[in-house]
Amino acid sequence: MKQKRFLKTATPYFFVLPWIIGFLVFTIGPLIFSLIMSFFDWPLIGSPEFVGFGNYIEMFTKDEQFKKSLVISLKYAAIFVPLNMIIALFLAMLITQPVKGVRVFRTIYYIPTVISGVAVSILWGWILNGDYGVLNYLLSLIGIDGPKWLVDPAWAIVAVIIASAFGVGSMMLIFYTDIKNIPIDVYEAANLDGATPARQFFSITLPIITPTILFNLITSIISSFQQVTLVMLLTGGGPLKSTYFYGLMTYNNAFKHHKLGYASANAWVMFIIILILTALVFKSSSAWVFYETEAGGAKQKKGGKK
Amino acid sequence: MKKKLVAMLALTMAATLAFTGCGKKEDGKTADGKTKVRFASWDTAEDADAQQAMVDKFNEQHDDIEVVLEAYGGEFDTKIAAGMGAKDTPDVMYMWNYPAYAGGLEPLDSYMEEEGEGYKDNFYETLWDYNSLDGKVYGIPIGFTTHALFYNKDIFAEAGIDEPTNDWTWDDVKEAAKAIESKTGKKGFSFQMKPDPYDYEMYLWSNDAAYCDEEGNLDGNLNSDKSKEVFQMFQDMAKEGYAVATEKSGTDEFRAGSTGMYVYGSWSINSFNEDGLNYGVVDIPAFKGASHDSVSILSSSGISMSADSKNKEAAWEFIKFWTSEEMNKERIGRELPVLKTVVETEGIMEQPEYVAFYTMLEQSSGYTPASFIIDTWSELSSDLSLSFERVYNPSALEDVSAVLDEAAAK
Amino acid sequence: MKMSKTSKVIIYILLGIMAVYFLSPFVYMFFTAFKTEAEAIAYPPKLFPAKWLFENFANAWNSQPFGTYLVNSLLVTIGTTVGQVISCSLVAYGFARFNFKGKNVMFMILLSTMMIPWDVTMIPQYMEFQMFGWINTLKPLIVPAWFGSAYYIFLMRQFLMGVPKDFEEAARIDGANAFQIYWKIFMPILKPSLILVGVLNMISVWNDYLGPLIFLQDRSKYTLALGLAQFKGVHETQIIPMLCVTIIMIVPPIIIFIIAQKYIVEGTSGSIK
Repeated sequence: MKQKRFLKTATPYFFVLPWIIGFLVFTIGPLIFSLIMSFFDWPLIGSPEFVGFGNYIEMFTKDEQFKKSLVISLKYAAIFVPLNMIIALFLAMLITQPVKGVRVFRTIYYIPTVISGVAVSILWGWILNGDYGVLNYLLSLIGIDGPKWLVDPAWAIVAVIIASAFGVGSMMLIFYTDIKNIPIDVYEAANLDGATPARQFFSITLPIITPTILFNLITSIISSFQQVTLVMLLTGGGPLKSTYFYGLMTYNNAFKHHKLGYASANAWVMFIIILILTALVFKSSSAWVFYETEAGGAKQKKGGKK
Repeated sequence: MKKKLVAMLALTMAATLAFTGCGKKEDGKTADGKTKVRFASWDTAEDADAQQAMVDKFNEQHDDIEVVLEAYGGEFDTKIAAGMGAKDTPDVMYMWNYPAYAGGLEPLDSYMEEEGEGYKDNFYETLWDYNSLDGKVYGIPIGFTTHALFYNKDIFAEAGIDEPTNDWTWDDVKEAAKAIESKTGKKGFSFQMKPDPYDYEMYLWSNDAAYCDEEGNLDGNLNSDKSKEVFQMFQDMAKEGYAVATEKSGTDEFRAGSTGMYVYGSWSINSFNEDGLNYGVVDIPAFKGASHDSVSILSSSGISMSADSKNKEAAWEFIKFWTSEEMNKERIGRELPVLKTVVETEGIMEQPEYVAFYTMLEQSSGYTPASFIIDTWSELSSDLSLSFERVYNPSALEDVSAVLDEAAAK
Repeated sequence: MKMSKTSKVIIYILLGIMAVYFLSPFVYMFFTAFKTEAEAIAYPPKLFPAKWLFENFANAWNSQPFGTYLVNSLLVTIGTTVGQVISCSLVAYGFARFNFKGKNVMFMILLSTMMIPWDVTMIPQYMEFQMFGWINTLKPLIVPAWFGSAYYIFLMRQFLMGVPKDFEEAARIDGANAFQIYWKIFMPILKPSLILVGVLNMISVWNDYLGPLIFLQDRSKYTLALGLAQFKGVHETQIIPMLCVTIIMIVPPIIIFIIAQKYIVEGTSGSIK
């Protein structure tokens, strides 16, 4: 009997054990190491020097770029996160429509996600070049004098958003999988009730997929703060540092200026900011995310899987 | 029960570590007992095969050494930084940014002395300035490029004007660019909107200025009248419409025949030749008021040894091989030879597209880039880069004097 | 579900507009891959190549040992995908279907591990793998995947949370243990989300070049994505071969995707179809 009780208590730990091992072996060491580094002046070559909170103090009192980059990243996140989620959800709804040939479209929308980033960013550079670019050439054919996308600070962030919207495929696929898993009888019942498609979307589909909305929300907040590759290759942080994202600043501090301690401090401040945002989202989620596992009468019936 | 769990976890972790730890090999040796030398290069795919062939040749000649080529292309710096940070630097590596990495590199002076007097003298002197720091040599030159003025012969013919010569001044460039713009509608000249500050200092040198003095003071140097003159000249050219500030290097625009002239290194010569572009290369134009001919920055490639290398003898053996006459000859077409004897015997000076780079090399000795003087160059460089952009970006075009004064005051 | 003709037309128009948006850069890239470099950068730009240079693809493929890279890429991709699907489903199941001490703290830690950028943990990670003797092997790229990644665990957990609570009750009454319930009852109904995790992981690993760049050294160990990055140099980029290899590299993920989307639909007993 005792053994049985042990088994019962231990069972959940068996399931999460792989992650615990992985965390202990691969993750926690480097994490703590980087936290320690953030309290040092840690050059690439030579011996580190303990500076206490020096890096953090410098960041908040002396480094103007820190504040600027933080604002840029917040701005980007504020536009990118909702925009991408709306596009992804819109596409996911489109590709679940029962029309002929929809599979082809599904694949088409997914292609940009599959393409490796390096070549694409060079291509984007050509397309968006202000004087000799393809896009502005096409616009000139219809009499529009296109903006200097990657030169005008006001347009550069738009260009980055346009380019990053092409990677929406993964999020679309996540929504799509979730929507596809909604049992058909839920809709059939609604059909009988005479609910319009829009009504069905808002009162059936949307509530059921709130868990994946939460997932996409949190992961895209994280990824928008960590955005490095695209801006590094497309704009290099310019023009006039208008796209010098926080992630890029951190990367440059580490790999260009070789200030590993300072970069670690950058990263840990970013960590705190993301953590706060995530905690807020989670806190609010009890109001708008519906889990079947939680005791929730009405919703449970609606989304119930047979 | 909790204890059991903890014990179990600990056991699993230990097992994992033990399992993973057993794959470790003795450092610095290959499986068959040869001395292993890791060699990291930044060459791209096209050149990596040729390099591999040369490395193979070395390995065939040496029974006890095996050199392994690691090609990292444009990501070279990230990889070297990561390697140095983790104390796992390749034994031998290409190098250009000595101020940033010298701390992890082995000084090579004593190795060179053993090779005798003539060894060092056969390299062009100016190259040593760029491969040394604080009087110590950290890399043996393998290639270099200076900058020169490229011009499109077809565009000059179309505009009906004389082609540039080695004794052109910037006034001549302006006149020609104006003529090209008015007769062909193409831009006469292009320069970078966001030049690399390291490269850009050559224009200041050419006009008797520099970013800083020997102590590293910017004020009174970066914002001197002579320096401002340089910035003003380029800005005016763009403002007046016959020149264009390009988003990238300007090579694409020049190749596409959209611009008549630009200043750049020798990197694109092969592409131009492949395209069949009808172009010429001359010295960088001089400033009229300057006391001397124009000066170029050097982008030098050297080969260095890691200070942590466990096989320094073998590494030096390979470096010697890699910088030999034979290898200099092998690399022609990818790198400009750095040995005087090779330039002579191979008749490099008879090839019109290369001459200007050697003239610029000889004209450019005795200048020390600010990156070798200022410790925090990397950060200064990104500040300067922003200042330059404020001067040249068409949506900014800020006042030269004000921007430079501000930059120098920092 | 029945659909009126007008709504069908509207849907096709929307599908078409989005397709143009998503496809146009790719189409431009596709045609450019057949051009000479001079043609590719010509201004004004032309869509079609003057002469279709099919040999561009062969030249690009032969310019590096891409055959070896392909094998390495397949090893890493398959190795991680299998590992991720197994480990993440287990861990997510633990988090989603049980209550246990420390669950919320552990879950918060799990999420937190996504929030520290790789730039600053990379060097310590390198040292750790060096200690293991794993540098210049494919192990650092594959082994960690067998212990789950926060992103996919979180994703799977969200799906598992959507399954009603009374779902496993019946089985439990029948005397099935937790693993049997996980394996026999949850895995089948979770097939779509398992495939989703597989597809997502496959694509990110297939295209990842930073990991291989940092942990690999010899060219004989390189992956396709790292080989692709080799076309970009410090000063010059060999854009045509780069585009060709990029296009070749799209093919396997697209095929997998086409197969996978069938299963994503068929996985559930009661889908919309």
